[in-house]
Formats: sequence, C-alpha cells, structure tokens
Amino acid sequence: MKNEIRSMLEEALPLVDFDSDFLFAELDSLGVTTILMLLAEHYDIRLDHRDATPKNLKNLDSIAALVKSKLKEQP
Amino acid sequence: MSHMRTFEDYLWQTTNRCPGKTAIVCGDAEMTYARLWECIQARADQLRTEGLGPGMPRAIRAGQTAGFLVEYLATHLAGGVAMPMEHDIPDERLHEWEDLAARADIPDGTADILFTTGTTGKSKGVMISHEAIVANAENLMDAQGFSPGLTFIICGPLNHIGSLSKVYPTLMCGSTLHITSGMKDLSAFFAAFDRPGGSGKFATFLVPAGLRMLMTLGGGKLEACADAIDFIETGAAPLGQSDMERLCRLLPKTRLYNTYASTETGIICTHDFNGKKCVAGCLGKPMKHSEIFITEEGTVACRGKTLMSGYVGDPELTAAVLRDGILFTRDNGAIDEEGMLRLGGRADDVINVGGFKVAPSEVEDAAMSMPDIEDCVCIPLYHPVAGQVPKLLVVTTAGSVFDKKKIARFLHEKLETYKVPAAYEETDRIHRTYNGKIDRGYYRAHAK
Repeated sequence: MKNEIRSMLEEALPLVDFDSDFLFAELDSLGVTTILMLLAEHYDIRLDHRDATPKNLKNLDSIAALVKSKLKEQP
Repeated sequence: MSHMRTFEDYLWQTTNRCPGKTAIVCGDAEMTYARLWECIQARADQLRTEGLGPGMPRAIRAGQTAGFLVEYLATHLAGGVAMPMEHDIPDERLHEWEDLAARADIPDGTADILFTTGTTGKSKGVMISHEAIVANAENLMDAQGFSPGLTFIICGPLNHIGSLSKVYPTLMCGSTLHITSGMKDLSAFFAAFDRPGGSGKFATFLVPAGLRMLMTLGGGKLEACADAIDFIETGAAPLGQSDMERLCRLLPKTRLYNTYASTETGIICTHDFNGKKCVAGCLGKPMKHSEIFITEEGTVACRGKTLMSGYVGDPELTAAVLRDGILFTRDNGAIDEEGMLRLGGRADDVINVGGFKVAPSEVEDAAMSMPDIEDCVCIPLYHPVAGQVPKLLVVTTAGSVFDKKKIARFLHEKLETYKVPAAYEETDRIHRTYNGKIDRGYYRAHAK
C-alpha cells in the first residue's frame, strides 16, 4: 500500500519529498487537500479536516496507517 | 501629505476610540489597539533611525503574523514604501526587486508596491497610493457592512491584495483581525470561531480554491458555524455555479460576496449572491469610489480612487494599461440590464492557480534555462480544488532523460512555489506559429 500511495502522491505533487519525516511542514494547503482528496477517492474512504493533522501527515508510513485505520472503520 | 489621508491616520483614530479592544489575534496571542499602535510607533522610530525616509522602498517578507503587520504599518508611518513579498521568494529575486525599486521613480503618496503577474511573463511591482488604500477600505466598509462587532478571519497570504485589503476596513472600523496560517490546518481555521471572548460574529475572505477546500473537507463543521458567519467574500478566480449554490445551501443566512478586484484596479465591484441572482460570473455594481465600463474590444475598464499609480520602474507598461485615469484590464466582460458586471474569462493566457496568477511565458523562460530542456510550453490543467494549475510539456535535449522531479526542483529555485508546474509531460515537439512563437491557440483548442 505504501508504494501505491507514494506513486499516486508523487505524480500529483512532484515538488514534495515523500521520503521526508517532516512531510506536513513541507505541504501547503493545496497539497494537504490534494492528498486527502486523492486518498478518499482511490480507497473510497471518508476523510475530513480532522484527519489533516501533522501526526497523520508526518510521513508516508503515517499516511498509510491513516488509510488502513479508515478502511477498518468502513462498514 | 495633508492630514487624514493615510490608513495609519484612521488607525490612530480607532486606537483613541477603543484602545483596550482586541485589534489582532494570532495563535494564542492577542494585541489591543493601544498595544498595536505602540508597537507600530516604536518600530517606525527605529526604522527612521536606521535610515528609512519618505518615499524609500522597503522589502518585507510577508508572514501570517501580527509582527508582519507591525513591520508593514511601521514602514508607512516612517514615510517609507512597503514592498510585501512572498514569504518563499528566492533571495535573488527579492534583491532584484529591491534594486529596481531603489532606482525607480516612485510618486509621492505611494504606500505599497505589491507584486503580481501579468501577461508579459515578468512579475510586476504595482504601486498603490495611500489614497487608494483608504478608498479600498471605504468601498468595502460601505458595500459589505464591516462593523465593530465583527471578527475578520484572515486565511490568505498578507502580501496579496485579497487578504491585505481586508486589514484596512477591519482595523478602520474597530473590529478584530484574526490571522490564521492559512487553509492548511482547517481545524485551526474553525478554532477561530470558538475563541473565548470572541465576538460571535465572523467574516472571512477566501479564494474559490479555499472555499472548495472548506466545503470538501469541512462541510459539516462549516454548516455548524453557519449562524456565526456574517459574511464571506470571494474573488481572484472564477467561482463555479455549483460551488455557489452549494455554499448558499450550507450558509443560508450568510452574505456571500463575489468581488471584482485586482492588484492594479483595487476593489471595484461586489455582489451578494446568496438569495438573489446567484449567477456565476456576476460581480455586481461598482462600489462608491469606483466606476466601470466596457471597451469596444469587450474588456473591462475601471476608473476611480482605488486604481494603482503605475508599475514600478516600467512607465511604458504603465502607459499601456493606465491612460487618462482609466485602467484597461484584460478581463472580458459585459454590463447587464441591472448595471451589474458579468465577467467572461480573460483575454490572455494567464493561468489562475487559486487566485495566484501565473504567466506561462515566465515559467517557460525559467524552464528553458535548464540544460536538459530543448523546448517547452506551459499550459493550464484543470484541478478540482485550485481550478487551474500549470502543466509543462517538455522536449528534452538529445541524451537527456525526462525527470519531472528534477525539473520541478530546478524551477523551484527560480520561481515562487505556486508558479512551479504541478504536472509534466514529455512530448516530441512544441507547436509554434510560422514566426516561431508558441502556438497558444493550438494548446487552447486541445486543452483538457
């Protein structure tokens, strides 16, 4: 899943270093929204502003963990 | 300069009227009008001591902080000309602007030089007078109902006319300015509504991209705040019909203003589309200090106190758009039967990235300085949030490998972040006209 997310996000945000452990700090508002919208659409999960936290968007591992936890919540 | 002409004169009046009232909230910190004025005065004294004098330009990297506003207003108070720049502008470009402004003929009464992108590809420094700042404030206070009980939430960059122009009416009428760091942390934006001791009545300015972010990721919370939102203003980019209607449904009692403004024209027309005439592209009637008319070519022209004084260091470009007190824009428009401005797109190739204007030629010029690139064209690409983002089609030089990350990073060293293309594609050739110019008509016709 992590590699799939990496390739999807790198395509959409070529300037962002997805190897960073300070990913949230690198992103602007459009970047944050783009990530949440792409993940919501690709994995058919519900994401909102409460998910856009520095902890959830710290690095690719935390993004993958966010997706996994949302998938678990799905009925 | 005669008395009572500057925004700072009005701020001094407000400070005398309500010294203990909260003027600025930023993060956990609050600043009363008395404290704000004290800081501005102290910093202005310091700037004078450091050599800032009347009419002298001073570049300031803009930040979403009270400290930036103190720097900005103190520059005015010391008689200088404030040049608020993008916070991430490369040092080289900042110094180029400082050098240009230092050599340029800046008219008396100039308060600001704001930077914007035009059709020619080069960023331009737009000179704004103290009179224009006050006229912008009065236009907004009169048309949108700013009141002392309001808290205005700033979400956009303070070097951009959209957000900077809201500082003036907010502080002139004694309301509170709540500065947030932008729309990246929407929870922080919503927290502004819950600040203890807050006014309970809020307003904000958001570009259409910001509104789409709010509706997409915070629609439920936005609806919960509906009763507290007095008005929202949008502008700088087209807002689609479906977005307008969705906003009206979410905020049935809120005044929703679509405004026609630009750095060059100032704040010209505004229209509350909630409840009546909810039509995309309808920007309303001119405000008290402004007039509009449509030229024979079908583009919008403006007259009035809010207009720029000219482009810094570029009298020829100034003369091309500003003649006999009339500013000729590149926006296509018409005036409807009710006297309201209807906008119909632009008569040029500028790409509008959520309110930030990007000239394709500026991106292409920067890209062409990369050894790996033989030829290129920058075109708009539809984006569900930003509306448009730049895309670069690239022909690589023989032996080079197409590497979009490398190109993006190269461009980031030369351009502001919002100008760096979000998408890249390798192509065999760039379509050009018989005289070698990029055939933009071809790319418009084949736009996706």
